[in-house]
Formats: sequence, C-alpha cells, structure tokens
Amino acid sequence: MSNTGTPHAGGEMPLSSLSSHSQNPFMDQFNLEARTQRVWDLNHAVWFTLMGLGGGVFLAGRILNLTEDLGHWLGIPMVDIVSFVAIAIGGLILVADLGRPLQFWRAFANIRTSWISWGAWSDLVFLTVAGLLVLPALSLGGSRPFSGLGWEPDGSDATGLALEILAGAAAVIVMTYAGAVLARPRSIPYWSSPAVPIQFLLSSAAMSLATVLLLEAINDVPISGGQMALLGILTAGLLTAMAVHLSTHRDVPGKQQSLDSLLRGPHRAVFVGLVLVLGTLMPTLLAFIGAAVPGARTALSVISFALLVQGGLLLRLTTLRVGIFPPVHIPSTRR
Amino acid sequence: MTRWGMVIDIGRCVGCQACTVACKTENQSPLDAWYAPVIEWESGVFPDATLNYLPTLCNHCEDAPCVTACPSGAITRRDDGIVIADEDICIGSRACMAACPYGAINFFEDSGTASAPAGSATPQASVPERYAHEQHVHGAISKCTYCAHRIDYGVEHGLEVGVHPLATPACVVTCPAECRIFGDLDDPESNVSRYLTENGPGEVLRPDARTNPKTKYVNLQ
Repeated sequence: MSNTGTPHAGGEMPLSSLSSHSQNPFMDQFNLEARTQRVWDLNHAVWFTLMGLGGGVFLAGRILNLTEDLGHWLGIPMVDIVSFVAIAIGGLILVADLGRPLQFWRAFANIRTSWISWGAWSDLVFLTVAGLLVLPALSLGGSRPFSGLGWEPDGSDATGLALEILAGAAAVIVMTYAGAVLARPRSIPYWSSPAVPIQFLLSSAAMSLATVLLLEAINDVPISGGQMALLGILTAGLLTAMAVHLSTHRDVPGKQQSLDSLLRGPHRAVFVGLVLVLGTLMPTLLAFIGAAVPGARTALSVISFALLVQGGLLLRLTTLRVGIFPPVHIPSTRR
Repeated sequence: MTRWGMVIDIGRCVGCQACTVACKTENQSPLDAWYAPVIEWESGVFPDATLNYLPTLCNHCEDAPCVTACPSGAITRRDDGIVIADEDICIGSRACMAACPYGAINFFEDSGTASAPAGSATPQASVPERYAHEQHVHGAISKCTYCAHRIDYGVEHGLEVGVHPLATPACVVTCPAECRIFGDLDDPESNVSRYLTENGPGEVLRPDARTNPKTKYVNLQ
C-alpha cells in the first residue's frame, strides 16, 4: 500500500521487506480523495454468481416441475446436483477467501444483524434440507439405502412438500443475500441501493432458468414458448433494474465516480459491451425470438445460457470493482 | 450513563502527525496500519495556497455499520459506547471494512513472520516492528478503541477520564495544539460537553452515512 505523506518509523530494514504486512486496501488513509475498494474482487464475484445460480437452479427445476426429466446421477436429479455443486463450491470459495478460514464457523454467530451470517445459515439450511429431500432417491450400486426415510423426493407427499418449501425459502435467501451484503451499509453509494440486490436476484433467476433450459436441450426435452418468454421477462426486468440504477442519484459523491468508471472509464468495455449488451440485452431479444420461433429454441437457449452466465459474473465483478468510497469530508472549497 | 466521545477542533490542528505516531506507539498497530491518520490536502492557488489537516480515527458510531455487518460478532459496542474489535473472534470477512464509511478499519494480511529476506544486510526487523507484527492476529482486522485500556485503567483507579494523562487516549494526550478533547458526552460538565457548548454542536464526517458518530469536529471547513 502506498500512503502519500505517511510518516515511516525508522528501523533496521525497510518496512516493505517484511514478509507480511497489514493494509487498509479500502482507503489510502492519509489522502482526502475518493477511494476504490480493493478487497472484494473476483473471488467474491464468483461466490456471488455461484450462490445465485445454485439457489435459482433448484427453484427453477422445482417450479417448472422438471426435476425428473433432466437426467440423474446416482438417482439424484441432475438439476439438484448442479444446484448443490454450485452452492458448495461458492461456499468453499467464501471460506477460502476469509482472512482466517479455519474460523469460518464463527460466521454463523451474528444472525441478529449481519447479512453474511444470514447467508451462511441459509446456505447451511439449504444444503441440509434439500440434501435430505433428495436422499431417498440416492441410488448406490442398484440399491436405494435411504428409500425408507418416509418422504417423496419430488415433494409429492406432505413431508416431502414441507422439506421442499423450506429448501425453496432458503434458496431464495441464498440468491438474495449477496446483493444485500453490498446494499445495506451506506458507505459506498453505488452499492447502497435496493437496485443492487434486485439486479443480483433477477440475474440469478435468469441464469438459473437458462441453465435449466440448457439441461432441457442436452436431454432433448422440448423447450416451451412459455419458458422462453419467462426468460425474456426476467432479463428485461434485469435490464430495467440496471437502467434505473444507472440513471438515478447520479450526482451523489462516490456514485458519480462509480458511474464514470462504468460508463466512461476503465470498465466501460466490459460493462457496456459484455454485461449490458451481450449479457442482458441480447439474451432478452433471443428469448423473445425463441418464444415466437419453436424451431430455434434449442440453439437460442444454449446461446442465452452462455451470454447470461458471463454477463452475470461480470455484472457482479464490475459492481464490486466500482465500489467507491467518497472522501470522508468534502471541504467547502470543493463543493 | 457514560458515553465517551471526542471533539476535534480543526482550527487548532497544526498537522504534526504526533497523534498518528502516538497512537501507533501506544497500540503497536500492525505494520502499515494507522488507526489515527491525519489527512492532508491542499487548497487554493499560489501564493494563497493552504495545506489543510483533518485528524481522523474510528468515529465510534452510535449506529456503527461495522457492528451490524460483522458476521462473527467480533466487533461490538460497549455499554460506554466504545466500539471494539476482538481479533481472536474475527474471521477476516472484511465486511466491516466495506461497511465503514471512514476507512477506519485495518486488515492484517498474511501469516508470515517479521524477518528480512535472505541475504539482507539487516537480518531482522526492529524490535518494535517485530513486536507489533507478533502481537496481532494475522488475517484479522484491528482498529482504534479510543484507547479503551487507558480509559478502563482510569475508571478503575478513580482518575478523571479525558483529563488525567493515564486515563485519556494517547492521541489526545500527545497533541501539542490540544485540538483533541475527550470525555463523557452525556455529562454536561465534562470537557467535551463544555467545549461543544462553547463552540457549537460540532459536525460529523460523512453525515450521509447516518452512523451517528461520537467523534465530532469543530471548525470543519
């Protein structure tokens, strides 16, 4: 870290030659400037994306009643496997990124106010309850050792339905909390908006539906016009949320710099090109075209999946990278 | 009810950074971590240019977003209003750093040891550097505590907090211009309350963040 004007204590060696150091990556502490946060980056973007995708795929498979049609592995519906794997990998990335990974269990402590705690609990509840739900379907060497558990993995009986609803509720929180983590504090004006969790939720829903459509394409399951239209509505909603977020409170210190960075600065090509146009606008058009043209649905769903997943990841990454703290004080001479 | 707070009179600050160094010495903060930096900026144009100073530290907010964001409960607010961080409980999520509008929280990265690279003419870091390096938890955050250990000592020994040097934050004791004043905001007779009565209610940094800080500024331009 470079601190202009930082007083450096004398010593037997330069401070920089120590093999570890502390830092305040969020803010160069001795300057009165807007500062870009530099701690949360690609790892968090991947974590956010996988959580959104994992929770959403489970919900999409269940809501569209497609779990049995999209293939199985060890008797477990493939759509649920994708969901579990995405959330498990996302959770591992989160743990690995902690300063003290072996203390990860403490993340469950502050459920009263911390969105990260709520997220940790929702991940745990989802993996536990959804895992229990599908456990009777587990097939090992031709036998189903847990078939006597007493509920239907597809939620067609009361116990199965209760587990499905509980897992679905946890999945909704899993999809939502990453955006809420960013939006709750008012420290970074670009993040401090309901538009951020709404964008993340809509992006997760669109990515998840596109993943289910991809599995349908792989398994030769016909894709309906209604599914394509739903995808179009979700991506159009995402586009609207992004437009609202980009066009409101533009003059607020901090957000102004974030918007400059996104729309005119170093992130312009990625955000405008890969997130807005290719990652959101294009899938919206393709989805509505697919809704109207049955013969093109398989190809369009595959293309939409690729565009939406890259767009979703880069949406989260650019959102993190333009997280800018305004100066702690704006002198009257600069107002 | 005691509610410790600080008033910083910008009009008195001479930019000597004595508070910055006193804090570092007192708290042995990790290398490159500064709990009480004095921000500097230039204004005006030669020959009317001015160097301005803004002493900062943790604002010990009533509505501290770091407390709310911390998933492990490592950051808490004491009954006397001081916001403290327990490095042993911290998991290094850095959610507090994103939540703090003041950049007042530092992250102690890596888990190496304070030793010079092979072949170095000076084989090891200085004693204070090594001590600071070893006494903090690696991968955890640390922050200003208003020198809670000094305040607790003063309360325990019947010293007047904010007046007696042993019962007052190191940055306040060290300031040659007496621009930092510390005391009980809830006591109308305390030095901070009287200073605010005489010099106006004071302002806070980043009022848009709505954190209700207990560090207040007078003569903030």
